[in-house]
Amino acid sequence: MSNLTYEAVNWNKPTSELAQVFWDQQWKQIWFPEEIAVSKDIKQWQDFDHQETYKKVLAGLTLLDTVQTNIGMNQIVAHVSDMQEKAVLTVFGSFEAIHAKSYSYIFTTLCTNSEIDELFEWVKNNEFLQYKANKISEIYNNIEVGNAESLWKAMYASVMLESFLFYSGFFYPLYLGGQGILRNSAEVISLILRDESIHGVAVGFFAQNLFKQFSLEKQDELKVWSYEVLLDLYQNELNYTNDVYAKTGLSTDVIAYIRYNANKALMNVGFDAMFPEEEVNPIVMNGIRNEGSTYDFFSQKGSSYAKAKVAPITDETFHFNR
Amino acid sequence: MKTYLKLNNEVLNRYSLTGELELDKDHDATSHYFLEYVNPKLRNFNTIEEKIRNLVEEGYYEKEFIELYEMEFIKKMYDKANRYNFRFPSFMSASKFYDSYAMKSRDGQEILEKYEDRIVIIALYLAQGDKELAERAVEAMMEAYQPATPTALNSGKNARGELVSCFKLTMDDSMNSIAENIGYCLELSRLGGGVGVNLTDLRPLGDPIKGILNRASGVIPVAKLLENSFSYSNQLGQRNGSGVAYLNIFHADIENFISAKKPNADDKIRLATLSTGIIIPSIFFELMKRDEDIVLFSPYDIYNEYGKRMSEISMTEMYQELLRNSNIRQIKSLNARKLYTEVKKAQFESGYPFEIFDDNVNEVHPLKNIGRVKMSNLCTEILQVQETSNITDQDQPNEYGLDVSCNLGSIDIHAASKVQDFGKLVDTSMRLLTNVSTMTNIKNVPSVSKANQLMHSVGLGAMNLHGHLVTQGILYGSKDSIDFIDCFMEAMNYYSLKSSMEIAKERGETFYRYEDSDYASGVYFDQYVNREDEEVSPTVLKALGNIPIITKHMWQALKKDVMRYGVFNSYRLATAPTGSISYIRSCTASIAPCTERVEIRDYADSRTIYPMPHLSNDNAHLYVEAYDVNPYDMIDLYAAAQKHVDQGISMTLYVTDQWTTEQLAKIYIYAWMRGIKSVYYVRQRLQTLEECVACQI
Repeated sequence: MSNLTYEAVNWNKPTSELAQVFWDQQWKQIWFPEEIAVSKDIKQWQDFDHQETYKKVLAGLTLLDTVQTNIGMNQIVAHVSDMQEKAVLTVFGSFEAIHAKSYSYIFTTLCTNSEIDELFEWVKNNEFLQYKANKISEIYNNIEVGNAESLWKAMYASVMLESFLFYSGFFYPLYLGGQGILRNSAEVISLILRDESIHGVAVGFFAQNLFKQFSLEKQDELKVWSYEVLLDLYQNELNYTNDVYAKTGLSTDVIAYIRYNANKALMNVGFDAMFPEEEVNPIVMNGIRNEGSTYDFFSQKGSSYAKAKVAPITDETFHFNR
Repeated sequence: MKTYLKLNNEVLNRYSLTGELELDKDHDATSHYFLEYVNPKLRNFNTIEEKIRNLVEEGYYEKEFIELYEMEFIKKMYDKANRYNFRFPSFMSASKFYDSYAMKSRDGQEILEKYEDRIVIIALYLAQGDKELAERAVEAMMEAYQPATPTALNSGKNARGELVSCFKLTMDDSMNSIAENIGYCLELSRLGGGVGVNLTDLRPLGDPIKGILNRASGVIPVAKLLENSFSYSNQLGQRNGSGVAYLNIFHADIENFISAKKPNADDKIRLATLSTGIIIPSIFFELMKRDEDIVLFSPYDIYNEYGKRMSEISMTEMYQELLRNSNIRQIKSLNARKLYTEVKKAQFESGYPFEIFDDNVNEVHPLKNIGRVKMSNLCTEILQVQETSNITDQDQPNEYGLDVSCNLGSIDIHAASKVQDFGKLVDTSMRLLTNVSTMTNIKNVPSVSKANQLMHSVGLGAMNLHGHLVTQGILYGSKDSIDFIDCFMEAMNYYSLKSSMEIAKERGETFYRYEDSDYASGVYFDQYVNREDEEVSPTVLKALGNIPIITKHMWQALKKDVMRYGVFNSYRLATAPTGSISYIRSCTASIAPCTERVEIRDYADSRTIYPMPHLSNDNAHLYVEAYDVNPYDMIDLYAAAQKHVDQGISMTLYVTDQWTTEQLAKIYIYAWMRGIKSVYYVRQRLQTLEECVACQI
């Protein structure tokens, strides 16, 4: 038996700035794919021209979320020292698992079993998809105990994944959903996106705190490394997009959107944007507004209900200063 | 991608960065919508005569009502409508109209009606051959009156649904009644109705059946049956049926009922799509204030002991008596504050249940001597007396009581302030609503059809309050806004009552048991004839425009006439939440504050960006969003309106996720204290992470 001393997480004393905020926000947003009636999309799906693209886009996202659940969050959690941050990241990991599962939920609802099997085969064989999964996983797997730099790199990779690489996939459901096509599947995607944006901000924030501890020279070195990684991934995204979106004629719009999100990812880790500002498809832009669009009481679940904060009713409750 | 959708979405291009809207894009979107979508699909006719003749011959329009008019007159009506030079003010209004209201060919490929066509057809159809009314109807609808969706959508069409869509049913504590009412729900849901069902009179879980204890299954399984009925019976699969179940808070099943809407409830008891509402008598609030326990009862005991159903007694009056009576089982005792906290938790997590404040409703109910209002409908604005049917075995005749169907219409407040004769506008609206009621016969639900014939109830409401206030530079929730709605609703009350009196006078007929009502006794007028007329500020006066301020003397004269000639409609006013119809007219919904300056609205068809009416980059500060309006001010505003409304006003409360259950309880308690009759949804805005982080750093 070993003789290590184990420490308990103490939430009564904040040890990490904002950990509580990220924790609260994530739990408030809890959702499950089964709450959204994807089956209402079946009729449209049957007449939908670009099924192939749609399926591939979702399959690609499934792979990235799988990597993020199984490797990304786990690895980072294992090496982060702050207990509260560990807890927050563990929760994030669970949500990634929900995300990965919700793509399957959409597939199960819309596709046949043999189609689904083919799709998972495609995932294994698409070189660009495999490239990004490999690239990111490699950085995750290279974290060394006690090596802050390797941990920072993993956090950076995580932000790239969640704030940047996902978006070539998110584009299509948002683009269609905004035009009334496959709206319920799009709602699942927008709920996933709502979570990913917290993850990107939170991990980016933790990364920034870590980054400050490095010497200036180290910081410069890491910056160079970062932009190189980004460019490499960007190059791969161009190929991936051209491959998957070829038949839809949307590649140019998707790529503009990718650049927009690459800039956002950089800002999350505290770096300057790399690409010049440009116009992004307005339907897709409005699809990612998180404020909770106006709720139609007669339609689906909607994304704006959450956990209650309980406080007891007291005598004071009956007093009004009016 | 459709250009018009792209343009519509571009309204928000720079909004998140600079707060500047590109409103021109919305106009461009509307013109492109006509160029690309409407005009190519619109079937052209050479003359009006040809249009009418073809559409009748092809079986699109009903022949009968067209034949009531000469062609010359019909042409005149078209001229009249066309002279208004109507233009859709927003992309939302145009797309909503052409997507959902305009008549299309059976294969969906051709558009057969423009806006003016629809208006003229509604007018001709509802006027039933009365040329003067038809002409007034065209005027009213082109200017400020909007019938509710089922009337606007179905009038004049051959293949049509019902003109009314709102129903209330009472279920009795017997298998016959449960089965009969579920049958009604299937029928009404098939017709596209939203149905409210009162479950208060059903015995709770574990109650005796035929004297054997622990046999009854309680209200939840019945609610599940209702839910399944509504989802089975939909309109050709176009829209799911919808319904709401109500339960009194003193009913022994109340705890299960409250938690049944929570997203994490057990699937066997979870009500996923059925809405829920609870009836709360004042005694509950009083016990809660004193921090006492409340006792839950079984309607089975109450009926056995007093021969009255739970919904037929005033719990506030009877509560102490029930506690003293040893034949009444005290099924459970629980802390009122804790129970209400559970209600608030459920509301945060699901938006449900709605709440009806029983005594606020019944104390001022003008038909209180005829019976109690026991429940409300799907949008909590209909509050009418009901009488439970006695559903017997199949070899005996049923004795039908009174249930409710209600047809609704709304007046655009902004437009109404500009019409020449407000009294005439309200009178025309009342006559159109009254005709809808006389033209309606829901034959498969005898209790509804009977009540409709006897009661002629209607519900006239208002919309575009926030929009109008913005044009007047008045802040929603301010004293001026409250004074304004007070005057406006009083005028609605006065003129609708005057109109209903005139109709009674003309027809020589009043609603059933009018003589027992507070109108006949004159009690109804006490609040108006004994008070002093008050001055209003110049701002309010200007905002009222052509809407008269009703004086004490006007009320005194009306009181005399009403007591002499009677009233035709048992109920006249109710303010609905107004969804689609306010979009068509580019109005803000109901008398509610806007929820977003620029709404992002997801319909099945597409995502539409809808800047609020009259919104410009200069007046945006007046469009305070509902979540930022002080809820107490908003309740004061609704309370001022409620005083003049014989039924209810659908009121949604808006909170953010920063609120606790206690704060939420507090505004409900305030609403109850202010005489509000019902609270519809609680809507919650989640803070975005940026906001959370911003307030931390």
